[in-house]
Amino acid sequence: MARFVLRRILLALPALLGLVVLTFVLSRVIPGDPAATLAGDAATPAQIAEIRAQYGLDRPIWEQAIVHLRQVLTGDFGRSVFSGRPVVEEIAFRLPATLELTFAALLISTVLGVGLGLVAALDHNGPVDHLVRLLSVGGLAIASFWLAIMLQLVFSMELDWLPLRGRIDPTLGAPPDITGFLLLDTLLAGRLDLFWSALRHLVMPAVTLALPGLATIARFTRSGVLEALQKDYVLYARAAGYGRFRLAAIYVLRNAITVTVTQIGLLFGALISGAVAVEAVFDWPGLGTYAVQAILSSDYKALLAVTLVVGVVYAVVNVMVDVAQALIDPRVAEEMS
Amino acid sequence: MRISLRSALLAAAMLALAPAADSQSPAHAQAQQRPLVWGDNLPASLDPHALFDVPSQFVLLNVYDGLYRYQGNPPELVPWLAERHTVSEDGLTWEFTLRAGAKFHDGSAITAEDVVYSFKRLLAMNRAPAAAFRPVLRPENITARDERTVRFVLSEPYAPFLAAIPLVAIVNPRAIQPHVRGDDWGAEWLAANDAGSGAYRINPETYRPRNQLDLERFADHFMGWSHNQRPIDSVRVRPVLETSTRVLALMRGEIDATDSYLPTDQVERVDRNPRTRVARDESMRVFILRMNNRRPPFDNLDARLCFAYAFNYQGFNEIILKGLVIRNAGPNPNNLWGNPPDLRPYNFDLNLARQHCDRARAAGAPLGREIEIHVQTELEQTVQAAQMFQADLRRVGVNLKIVPNTWAGITSSTTRAETTPDMWVHWVSTYFVDPENWIGQMYDSRFHGTWKASSWYRNERVDDLLTRARTSLDRAERERLYQEATRIVVAESPDIWVYNTVNLRGLSRRLQGYRFSPVGSGGELRSMWLEN
Repeated sequence: MARFVLRRILLALPALLGLVVLTFVLSRVIPGDPAATLAGDAATPAQIAEIRAQYGLDRPIWEQAIVHLRQVLTGDFGRSVFSGRPVVEEIAFRLPATLELTFAALLISTVLGVGLGLVAALDHNGPVDHLVRLLSVGGLAIASFWLAIMLQLVFSMELDWLPLRGRIDPTLGAPPDITGFLLLDTLLAGRLDLFWSALRHLVMPAVTLALPGLATIARFTRSGVLEALQKDYVLYARAAGYGRFRLAAIYVLRNAITVTVTQIGLLFGALISGAVAVEAVFDWPGLGTYAVQAILSSDYKALLAVTLVVGVVYAVVNVMVDVAQALIDPRVAEEMS
Repeated sequence: MRISLRSALLAAAMLALAPAADSQSPAHAQAQQRPLVWGDNLPASLDPHALFDVPSQFVLLNVYDGLYRYQGNPPELVPWLAERHTVSEDGLTWEFTLRAGAKFHDGSAITAEDVVYSFKRLLAMNRAPAAAFRPVLRPENITARDERTVRFVLSEPYAPFLAAIPLVAIVNPRAIQPHVRGDDWGAEWLAANDAGSGAYRINPETYRPRNQLDLERFADHFMGWSHNQRPIDSVRVRPVLETSTRVLALMRGEIDATDSYLPTDQVERVDRNPRTRVARDESMRVFILRMNNRRPPFDNLDARLCFAYAFNYQGFNEIILKGLVIRNAGPNPNNLWGNPPDLRPYNFDLNLARQHCDRARAAGAPLGREIEIHVQTELEQTVQAAQMFQADLRRVGVNLKIVPNTWAGITSSTTRAETTPDMWVHWVSTYFVDPENWIGQMYDSRFHGTWKASSWYRNERVDDLLTRARTSLDRAERERLYQEATRIVVAESPDIWVYNTVNLRGLSRRLQGYRFSPVGSGGELRSMWLEN
């Protein structure tokens, strides 16, 4: 297994290197000159050129690329062109927010998706199956920003159950900053009031983000379970007297879930990209909103760092998914080795 | 089926528990002491010398002080850290005398040396606010005459010097210097920290760039607090990105103020809510459709006039923007000095537009080609204006193509005439209150290469008038020169001036003492208090 994990990690490295090069090239060909914006209203072309030189933007692109690569390899993403602060510091605050939201969404979509997929398959062509299929289509078809606003209108404005925006109630005072994951930090600090506030703030963004993934997982689980139900071992198990749900939960699901696990890996990438819209509507201070601000202000250093960080997270999650698959089905590890 | 029910029950339970807990939350218990939650945007950096945009004015006005400050509407320049100033007859030597007793947040006294340091830092960093001074001010010509007197010797007379003085925050060198790295003047540190003397101080521990800023009242501010019996002690700045969320958050009481550019279609809704209102204040922010005068067909006067007559000003201002703006005839805001009293705006007249277009075509202007207009996608009004214009121009045989872009994307392309778009849409806001901020920097060809002068208009007579207006210290003469320049510029229609902005800020009704000034857009907190 260790060899398998190592192999998966080594395979991810060239992909990340490709990502660094590609994002750098893209960042330099898109329109926008941060030097002009930084220089201000009445700046002359000479002043703009001075700022361009100050940031090394006047050097040949290959030279800039080498500098960038060297910086990345040493974990230095440079300073944000606009804030003047190290990009690493800015991302360090935003990444946990996005990961907390994404993991919550992943948890909701996995638990509910697998559950719904399973019961739909067990009620094949029955009313529950039809309902789940309808929900799946709806989940994929509904735009996140629309759902987000609808949830805000219903649960915040009408029912007054949940907060509208943000990550925590600003009037409660500053939350503890230990890991950046608010749910965890507030618990570690023993601040249940803040924990509750953070949890309530998380509900709507996580549900909004989870819905498309939930639909995908439900569909894959349903088809995987249906396929597994046709296998001979299921027939024998039934003959041996196993109950319907016990059989499904213990044997069928484990065999059917490998495809779903692959989907969860892919889904993680989709969740991170989907978080951009959700973070914007709910004012979630994550990487998505940071990336949007970086794009609007041509802050190429910030943009490059965000892309790379998301790429690394995505690669790590995919390695984890591969490992999970190998644990569920040892044949996968053998095939891949 | 049981599994599905269990999942559904779990989700329902999560939601059902929420209101029960809400009544127990400390938010309710502490409602009496709730701080002000300000929902406007934050600048990318808290360093007042690094950026100059509308969000950074909030930091400048609340965390820092300048020698002079704009107050009220119309804005009046009042002595602030300085108690007075003198200027030599040749307009080159300016001396400012500092008020006694003013202190920085660390308790140290503000001296003339601190002012010298602040201006030198600004010039050395050469970022946005420096652009107003660098052409006329060298670091070695800023000196402290004594502990309370600062002298500036300009390299040429520059009448807007005093008007631009409020752009410069006086920073505390003793706070910055321990954090200087190389030649960065402490910029990295000050981007997230406080070296000011303003009415509020920053809590750097809780600061998160562009996301959250907590301010606490500075009780020892040199202007005192006698003007405000119940000043706000704590302010939480929490920008809300989405318009819809911003409005809902205000109506629900999660924030006490929105930004000052509330979309006009939201005004009625906010006003109808018993807990909220909209503050309407005429600002100095002109909405403009630029034309690249160097590029055909806009190098032809008739082509430009055709476009000027083809824009439906009334339809846009009165219907789309619901009359919540004020028609502006020229480049300067209506409410600024320097405008000719008889200046007449262009009207929407498609017959006249057609005649000018025909004349332009006869002179060889390529009006048959597709004209590109760049809009700032994230700013809906720029798109709406372009769409309306596109429909009307089609009626005079002109094909307008709308190109989505961003502010950064457009401004970086305006450094050269060849890369400047045919047309683009934007506002010119108040950076300092002087016609130099508008007509001076927009139509004097010495500013070619900057986004403000991106119509690439050139008229030697106008250049001469604007240069004289910039160097004269005689206000009456300056007024006359600007009026003449404005008449010429408007007659030659290098751009299309549409309206002067009425700032619309959504406010909770419990927020009192809100005072608007076009510089800072009403974000100065020291006059505000909260009703329970």
